[in-house]
Amino acid sequence: MWRPTITAHLLRWLVGPSLRRGRPTPQSGASSPPRICTVLVGLLRPSVVPVSVCVSFAASLSLAAPGAFAQGDANAGKAVYELKCAGCHGVKGDGKGPAAELLLPKPRDFTAGIYKIRTTVNKTPTDQDIFRIITDGMPGTSMPPWSVLPEKDRWNLVAYVKAFAGDKLKEPPKKVELPKEVGSSEASIKRGKEMYEAIECHKCHGADGRADGPSRGELKDEWGHPVPPANLAKRWNFRGGHSRTDIATRIANGVLGTPMPAFLDAVEKPEDVWHLTNFIMSLGPDAPHYATLLTVTAVKDAIPDDPNAELWKKIDANNIPLMGQVIVDPRNFNPAIDLVSVRAVYNDAEIAFHFTWDDPSNSTKGDGKTTFADAISVQFPPQITGGTERPYFLMGDGSDAVYLLRWDADKGASEATANGPTKLAAVKGGEVAGKATYTNGRYQLVLKRALAAQGTERPTFRPAVFTPVAFQAWDGGAGEAGPKMSLTSWYYLRLEEPQSNRKFVIPPVVALLTLAAMVLIVRAARSRATNT
Amino acid sequence: MRKTFVVVAVLALSAGAVMLARQAGAQGGGTVEVEVKYNGAPVVEKIKVNKDTEKCGKETTIEKVVVGGNKGLANAVASVPGAKGGKAVKGMIDQHGCKFQPHVVLMTPGEIEIKNSDDILHNIHTYSTANPAINKAQPKFKKTMTEKFEKPEMIKVTCDVHSWMLGWVAVTPGPAAVTDNNGVAKIENVPAGKQKVEVWHETLGKQEKDVDVKAGQTTKVSFEMKGK
Repeated sequence: MWRPTITAHLLRWLVGPSLRRGRPTPQSGASSPPRICTVLVGLLRPSVVPVSVCVSFAASLSLAAPGAFAQGDANAGKAVYELKCAGCHGVKGDGKGPAAELLLPKPRDFTAGIYKIRTTVNKTPTDQDIFRIITDGMPGTSMPPWSVLPEKDRWNLVAYVKAFAGDKLKEPPKKVELPKEVGSSEASIKRGKEMYEAIECHKCHGADGRADGPSRGELKDEWGHPVPPANLAKRWNFRGGHSRTDIATRIANGVLGTPMPAFLDAVEKPEDVWHLTNFIMSLGPDAPHYATLLTVTAVKDAIPDDPNAELWKKIDANNIPLMGQVIVDPRNFNPAIDLVSVRAVYNDAEIAFHFTWDDPSNSTKGDGKTTFADAISVQFPPQITGGTERPYFLMGDGSDAVYLLRWDADKGASEATANGPTKLAAVKGGEVAGKATYTNGRYQLVLKRALAAQGTERPTFRPAVFTPVAFQAWDGGAGEAGPKMSLTSWYYLRLEEPQSNRKFVIPPVVALLTLAAMVLIVRAARSRATNT
Repeated sequence: MRKTFVVVAVLALSAGAVMLARQAGAQGGGTVEVEVKYNGAPVVEKIKVNKDTEKCGKETTIEKVVVGGNKGLANAVASVPGAKGGKAVKGMIDQHGCKFQPHVVLMTPGEIEIKNSDDILHNIHTYSTANPAINKAQPKFKKTMTEKFEKPEMIKVTCDVHSWMLGWVAVTPGPAAVTDNNGVAKIENVPAGKQKVEVWHETLGKQEKDVDVKAGQTTKVSFEMKGK
């Protein structure tokens, strides 16, 4: 194996990042200037050597000397690989480790030399590309970030995983040349949307980017595994990162080994790559900003059933992450629904929950074998005591039941109690109303019930009490039903104190009375002074 | 000075003579008529189309094994891999009616022109090992693009937008032809002498036979492919 020379060591040290643990990826946003720049600028003052000039000089230096970064030792990488990577990727690097069976997307088969995330226009990724995926992981997949490993180990891994491909990566990497960056603006987003429609991104990614395009079910990767299109409204799950450059690079180069083609030469004008990037970034937030406590807002007026009513737009959304149910059989290792957005309000008679979640297929019934009706439920203890004891979060157990407000695309809204995920019983005499809409890969639903309830099966909701709450969701179109679901553990929700006029009345009254008392005291004191 | 002139003239003359001889050789080549039979049922899958029906139709087919009259196997590539240095053939494939047309394209190593006459998005996704694999979008406004396949290889081509679309690009160094619906392919300009004729089919595999090619004549050879 090739051993790094002293010159290569020195060069790498100089053009390497100033911070040892910093991410030396220009693509991933925050990066530190190369060490050589810190040294030079420190010696000569920034006016003599501007940092930016030095950074580009260092970049050219590292390009001119391939191997300056790429000097991992494959032999040393082997030990780390077998300890940390072989479980999924296999000892032979063929992606067939013992855990591979349960994973989707499947672990990379390094022997094929096909890398999804590249900054190159040809098959061969740069070493930096591989290093970056090892360091940052792949969001939305089972590949975790390995930044806990020493940087040297990660470079050694790069050399080792590349070796699995033999001469399939013999062609040197050819960096993509992105057109000049165009910043985001209303006009750019508009142009991006036009181009999105003209080049028919919606065929796979859907009209609003929620992965619900008509070709979505047919997509397969190089190995024949189903590969769904990315939900462009949830960019924090983008496999290769979600900075502007990351997104533009994916559009330009495509994602190798998947149906996502390269669009660099397939847009009307080169800068359309940036307009598309700006449009995609306008489709959703940068991060899910998960909630910890759900506040139920007090309202005075009647609560609308319509999920698109104006009221719901004024209420803050609480984003709740969902996980696959992997405790009882059948387990759901690859849940389809990973997030539900919850809004909640109450008035003096009713409480209502507004749910928004993405589901690429509108499955109202299914065939009952491989597809089922889409569904969602919200779970409470049967009685809300304010104490810390709660039923088992996985839809209760034999000794303690839970109460569920359910909606399914076939039967609509209902109330149930459950003593486990397969032991549901309908609650009779309930009065739950539900109304749902489905547009371009997104469900919106309102579930509404009376605040007060009779009997021991159904809770009564009271203001200012910490109320345990949990959620479950099923993508019936993806074969989810029964225990095969996405779910949360217990959260808390709290009905905010009812709005009253007292806060506007009492403080002024107290202030007035205090003023009056002060006037009286002053007068009394003055009259005593004149009397003496 | 005169010596140099003589040398140059002799060189030029001999070069011309060699070229003439070559041309004569090419003209003096023979034709190989290959007949491919298949003793099995055709495999044609019918697919319901769920998008772009105005371009693709409501129903389409995946033609894996096409058997025509007299049990002739269509879409098989007959070639003479040993006979290199023939005429260059540029590849030409069209995406029309959400199908690759023709189903099998012949070309010698070099360029291929890829057309999209459908006015909708297709993507050219090749599965190759000898040549670089490509996956390039071809939106409606990009009517043609050119790619290079420099190495001999049978390259599978798909479109992920329309998953039924399947085509093959046969990059062959020597003369070649594709069988018609009667299972017949005529390979022209095959140099005279003993030649290996190869027949390849996308699902039924490969067969080889030795053929004695005579200049200016048509030599017949028949193959029988068996189902797997």
